[in-house]
Amino acid sequence: MSYLNTTEVDSAVVSLSTAYPSLCQLVTLLEPSVEGNTCHALRIGAAPTGTRDCAVLIGGVHAREWGSCEILVHLAADLLEAYHTGTGLGYGATSFSSAQVRTVLEGMDLVVFPLVNPDGRHYSQTVDPMWRKNRNPAYSHGPSCVGVDINRNYDFLFDFTTAFAPHSGVQVSEDACDYQVFHGPAAFSEPETRNVRRLLDSYPRTRWFVDVHSYSEDMLYVWGDDQDQSTDQTMTFRNPAFDGQRGLAADRYGEFIAKDDFDTSVLLAQRFCQGLQGVRGTAYTPKAGYDLYPTSGTSDDYAYSRHLVDPSKGKVFAYTIEWGTEFQPPWSEMSEIIKEVDAGLVRFCLAALQP
Amino acid sequence: MSDRDRILRVRVTATDPTVLHTLLREKRPDVGGRPHRGADRSISIEAYVSPAEAEDLEREGVTVQVIEDATATGRARQAEVGRGNRYAVGEQIPRGLGLKVHD
Repeated sequence: MSYLNTTEVDSAVVSLSTAYPSLCQLVTLLEPSVEGNTCHALRIGAAPTGTRDCAVLIGGVHAREWGSCEILVHLAADLLEAYHTGTGLGYGATSFSSAQVRTVLEGMDLVVFPLVNPDGRHYSQTVDPMWRKNRNPAYSHGPSCVGVDINRNYDFLFDFTTAFAPHSGVQVSEDACDYQVFHGPAAFSEPETRNVRRLLDSYPRTRWFVDVHSYSEDMLYVWGDDQDQSTDQTMTFRNPAFDGQRGLAADRYGEFIAKDDFDTSVLLAQRFCQGLQGVRGTAYTPKAGYDLYPTSGTSDDYAYSRHLVDPSKGKVFAYTIEWGTEFQPPWSEMSEIIKEVDAGLVRFCLAALQP
Repeated sequence: MSDRDRILRVRVTATDPTVLHTLLREKRPDVGGRPHRGADRSISIEAYVSPAEAEDLEREGVTVQVIEDATATGRARQAEVGRGNRYAVGEQIPRGLGLKVHD
């Protein structure tokens, strides 16, 4: 085995859809990438589409975090084969029974989108291994100014210069030549982020969202703009009275999250970490996205915030996995990380389905 | 030679979070991973920087330790990427890494 190239990730998704036609559907994303690559996701589930609550899992957002795609491709392959053959799944010292596999596939829709950013991954795998953004040249003034950080391009406090305190150190930039975190000219300016939004819109019963990244061995829940608090409902990203105050540690402002939602967010993150740790003892940390510095325009904050901005949308408990301790481990180590994270995700799904 | 031609992976350790926060805000290095806190209140984070940027991060209360040449490691990893298409039509079906176990 080895890392999948960009073509192989997409072929794997297509291949699974044809191998297990009664259990999954190929989803063609509406927009090709800037370089013209068509993107595919898989809708997995034994029940008819839309009759179950849904978990949307995405990966391959940041180009250099190669293993994220493999984590999701292998998870889909494992669940489909195990359900099809009536077996359970074993990951190191952790195992799931065939009944648990059935619980996941019969209890929820799983939408798996392993490669959000194919152009960036190809560039990282063939030219610059440390490349992070997409490859959009539209805002460029030269080769060093190509690309947008997709995970700063969602519609959550996008206008960071207004929303955050001047000295917050928010990890985002409006400089098109920023090598890592240029957030684009507007929220959802990029086809990659629009594709993810489209998935969330297309599956209105989405209740869980996981964005697979690396690295730091953490399972992050909302919020990323400031510390969580559950006491003052007026302190929210929607309240302009707090513009210019967000993002500082140990100050008055904290981003509101209802206590029940906070407890659920933490619980599911803990279950993921427990499932992962059972494989070979690696301890991931469940924690909020805000830590030392804030972020804006990220997928998890956007996904959870949707129901607050538009009450007609369902509530989505949203997470970011930060797997591993380096962007591109040797494949021998990456294959072990895949087992860990996939076990964590199966445990996460089982916990999510518990009433 | 551009300053992106050789990137080092470094661990930046500060005596306290305020020092590291200020450094990240002022220098805006490409950080990898999340902060790690030491038992002595120190805090560290990994960053991917050019040799010149690594020197520029050093100051009172901050140590910068080179972990590896990230560019060289990345090039080695590129050799571990598949060359063909293992899952082309008519080829193998993807299989996960989990063992398929009977109850």
